[in-house]
Amino acid sequence: MNSTAPNPSPKAPPPPEGDTLYAVRQKVYVRAVTGLFANWRWALVWFTQIVFYGLPWLQWNDRQAVLFHLTERKFYIFGWVFWPQDVFFLAILLIISAYALFFFTAIAGRLWCGYACPQTVYTEIFMWIEEKIEGDRNKRMKLDKAPMSPRKLGIKAAKYGAWGAVALWTGFTFVGYFSPMSELLASVATLGFGPWEMFWILFYGAFTYLFAGVMREQVCKYMCPYARFQAVMFDPDTLVITYDEGRGEPRGARRKGVDSATAGKGDCVDCGICVQVCPTGIDIRNGLQYECIGCAACIDACDQVMDKVGYPRGLIRYSTENAIKRGWGTKEIIGHVFRPRTLVYGTVLIAICVAFVWGLATRDPLRVDIIRDRASLGREVAGGMIENVYRLQVMNMTEVPRNFVFDVKGINGIQIAGDHRVAVEAAATQAVTLQVLVPYDAGKPGANEIVFEIHPEDDPSLKLFEKTTFLFPR
Amino acid sequence: MQKLIQVLWPSFLVAAVVEAVFFTVIDPQALYLLGEPVHYDPLTTYSIGFLAFWLICAASSLTTLYFQRTADEINHPEAH
Ligand code: SF4
Ligand code: SF4
Repeated sequence: MNSTAPNPSPKAPPPPEGDTLYAVRQKVYVRAVTGLFANWRWALVWFTQIVFYGLPWLQWNDRQAVLFHLTERKFYIFGWVFWPQDVFFLAILLIISAYALFFFTAIAGRLWCGYACPQTVYTEIFMWIEEKIEGDRNKRMKLDKAPMSPRKLGIKAAKYGAWGAVALWTGFTFVGYFSPMSELLASVATLGFGPWEMFWILFYGAFTYLFAGVMREQVCKYMCPYARFQAVMFDPDTLVITYDEGRGEPRGARRKGVDSATAGKGDCVDCGICVQVCPTGIDIRNGLQYECIGCAACIDACDQVMDKVGYPRGLIRYSTENAIKRGWGTKEIIGHVFRPRTLVYGTVLIAICVAFVWGLATRDPLRVDIIRDRASLGREVAGGMIENVYRLQVMNMTEVPRNFVFDVKGINGIQIAGDHRVAVEAAATQAVTLQVLVPYDAGKPGANEIVFEIHPEDDPSLKLFEKTTFLFPR
Repeated sequence: MQKLIQVLWPSFLVAAVVEAVFFTVIDPQALYLLGEPVHYDPLTTYSIGFLAFWLICAASSLTTLYFQRTADEINHPEAH
């Protein structure tokens, strides 16, 4: 294979099914690329990874700022504490993510895949390490063909070692989102993690290594659910990476400095660079394919080739099916961004986001569950009173300890025996038992509706009402 | 290898979803194991839960593969 040989083209007959990962796979040797879109990709690698690796170290209110504390069953996200009862917010968040994905896919194809997906980001990092240690594409291909030697062994070991280190650190960070980082850190020196923490660090690390180091494009091609259905969100006005066939064909090599018309050819010099840089190993000149993750590496590559041969850039570019067919310029393309499909996705997206923010802003800082004590239904006590006993779970959703005051209404002469107050720690639950007394002749036999009224001592305006029933003996 | 991933990967995805839904709704401390309240620490329960879900889903994927074989594959196993 010489240095400019493209990766296997998808036009080649499909290789027979074999006993390897998914399909028989010719290893894709990706050539590194620079340019505008490569810079965007790297910007997103930095951004997402600074957030991912950094967040678990951030402190807030004397605790980890972002912690999905599984043991306590509480999610801490900066100023918020979420409880299992808040699953509603999680559901909305998932819907928002889904709609955002639909929206961006409809506008500009697989933006998520090309720039932000962890699979892309980690593959990018792992390929960068590979390039630094093993050298560029040609050197890598030569190295892989060469027989095993101490030098080859050393290089390979260095690469696998570096990959392993990144993978382990990623696994450690991942577990740091679910188990407090301070405790994890204390166990690092002695490797004294709990057995399951150890297990998940290694498990997530191994997955990172396998996906970003070994399987790479195969994950996108065969394992990603999104890749399978993203095409339904495309329409003829969706921006996708496009090879301008009208301009490029007939392709062919030519001497330097010859313009296309003189050579009787199109602008594509058939150098194959766009194929070499493609992380999924496809040839974009065959048209839009489901394997294309929209990374725009081929745009950067071809633009450099066009600069070199002195043709205008953009033989491969972001364009739409309609634009290529009708020869639209940028203005028409932008004009078609707003069309029924994107407007519907966009409106729904904004509506759900507003609902989410509203729900969050008006979330009760206090919550109460009432459980009737079944053992003592309507007992008669001294003084001609009927007693009912209630167990209340009081949840303080704020991050300050608070006292809460109870009152009860609904029947003439109803009252709470004993203390009316309960102190609840910050972001904690406290169980209280309340005895409620009612004069024996104040209600009808059976169930009578009553209402508990609960408010924080420091803020009487914040009142919570909880309905329940009071039982009289028949 | 291909078969292995076909069994393990879809079951992994489904197990992850099931794990999230199941443990959002159910507190691991409220579970009973063979009539005894579960006394493991929650992380252990979550982990065992996930692996168990994965195993169950994998069994289902495996069954699918098993029934997917064509008559020809069953009649002439040596040819495949
Ligand atoms: S990089 Fe551009 S010129 Fe080279 S083969 Fe690809 S499309 Fe043609
Ligand atoms: S065809 Fe181009 S945009 Fe698509 S995956 Fe390959 S390099 Fe990326």
